[in-house]
Amino acid sequence: MKFITFKNVYKEFVTERGTQVISVIENISIDVDEGSVIAFLGPSGCGKTTLMRIVGGLETLTSGSVKLEGEEVTKPDRRKGMVFQSYSSFPWLTVEGNVRFGTRYRNDISESEKNDVVKHYLNLVQLSEYASLYPARISGGMRQRVAIARTLAAGPNVLLMDEPFGALDAQTRESLQFQLLDINRQERKTIIFVTHDVEEAILLADRILMFSARPARIIREFDVNKLIQDEPRGPETKESKPFFKLRNEILHIARKQGQPREV
Amino acid sequence: MRRSPTEFHRLFEFRAKVTNRTELVMAILAFVSFILIWHIAASSGLIRPEFLPTPLSVVEAFFRLFPQRDFEVDIGISVGRVWFAFFLSVVVAVPLGILMSTYRIVGSICEPIVDLIRYLPVPALVPLLIIWFGIGEVSKIAVLWMGTFFQLVLLIADDAKRVPEEYIESAFTVGAKPKQVIGHVLLPSMLPNMIDNFRITLGWCWTYLIIAEIVAASSGIGHMIWSMRRFVKTPEVMAGIITIGIIGLLTDQLIRWWHRRMFRYLQKN
Repeated sequence: MKFITFKNVYKEFVTERGTQVISVIENISIDVDEGSVIAFLGPSGCGKTTLMRIVGGLETLTSGSVKLEGEEVTKPDRRKGMVFQSYSSFPWLTVEGNVRFGTRYRNDISESEKNDVVKHYLNLVQLSEYASLYPARISGGMRQRVAIARTLAAGPNVLLMDEPFGALDAQTRESLQFQLLDINRQERKTIIFVTHDVEEAILLADRILMFSARPARIIREFDVNKLIQDEPRGPETKESKPFFKLRNEILHIARKQGQPREV
Repeated sequence: MRRSPTEFHRLFEFRAKVTNRTELVMAILAFVSFILIWHIAASSGLIRPEFLPTPLSVVEAFFRLFPQRDFEVDIGISVGRVWFAFFLSVVVAVPLGILMSTYRIVGSICEPIVDLIRYLPVPALVPLLIIWFGIGEVSKIAVLWMGTFFQLVLLIADDAKRVPEEYIESAFTVGAKPKQVIGHVLLPSMLPNMIDNFRITLGWCWTYLIIAEIVAASSGIGHMIWSMRRFVKTPEVMAGIITIGIIGLLTDQLIRWWHRRMFRYLQKN
């Protein structure tokens, strides 16, 4: 049994006036292994985020099925953690309060274990010294780390990330990408992340799925581990020949796809 | 080379900023000139004192009102009416506003009705409310409630709608249930805006209070103003109006101060 399976997933939207049906996702089937990191790569508005949100239980599908550990996904819950593009840390809670919020609805561990979990994840995202600050006082990159720690503290089976570093400046973004590699070397989570940044996809993912413009169909798949054998991956990976080769190949395919259709 | 302009010049510059001290000096200056012009106009003999008494006679009238008419009782009654009616508005508007924005069944039923009533002029409802509730306290509270509730409920619904979707979904994906999302995320997230809307709505309460007290009351600041008018005691009338202004200003500033303290976490430094 595969960890996550998408089987013939279709998704259609009916426009607000109810006059038009727009196809967003067309016949997608994917198997995801436990502990692997999958990148959904594609042009903006192509439906890749919708596909990931279906896994999170935040969006319904029109036909087909998405299963997590053999069980059909219907609602959001703490097994499917989500990190959003915008800073979703709660402004009324401190850094620590935000991470603690991730454990609030857990009944699989005791209160004292919760304290340990909070400490562990604050440490993991290197925010222990900022534990008592409110999000308004810290940088965007730190706020995104708070959101990651909060999501992990809930003990999810799969981590879903929607362009998690998209709102950050280039330097912060790169530093967070390396930190995420670090975090996952320790956590070994199954991760699905959505991005339109080719280099980010190559650096972080075991597998890259390239999507067409709307309606989303898979146009190519890359087994990154086969093509890039750096272990562990790090800054040098981004300067290696296989990295450039893969990047150019992906960009070439994207170019051939042409401009994404407008609406 | 362009030198940075002086504080004085900055006052006249497009979208320029000045220091808090300059703001204060300007505020005092404006206030003093207003009183001065008023005094000159009133004591020039061109305008009869029944129309425009001097500022000093208004102040004298204000202090006369306490021993002569137990003005503190009027003030107490008016403040009590405003706060009681406002409290009644809040306890109904907050839960209903949240439900209107979170469950379409509530929203799609209530929104058209609230929108209609919101546009009915409250003073026009006064005769109707008197027919229904008589001239006792109930009809006054009803006027204030009608004037604030329908505005407030829409503001609250709007505050709830403006809570970022990411906050709500983050809570769901760490395992919260809808009820918990409302209590633990929606409410704390909308609270700063909500308190601000309370402050604004409380101001409207005073407008309707005077209408209610002028039409049918035997106590309150509005009643005092209306009975003084009958004897053309203009200084007393003006003292009453200014008292309302001062109470409004003080309440507003107090809530603002409390808001800043309570929501310090929103400040960047």
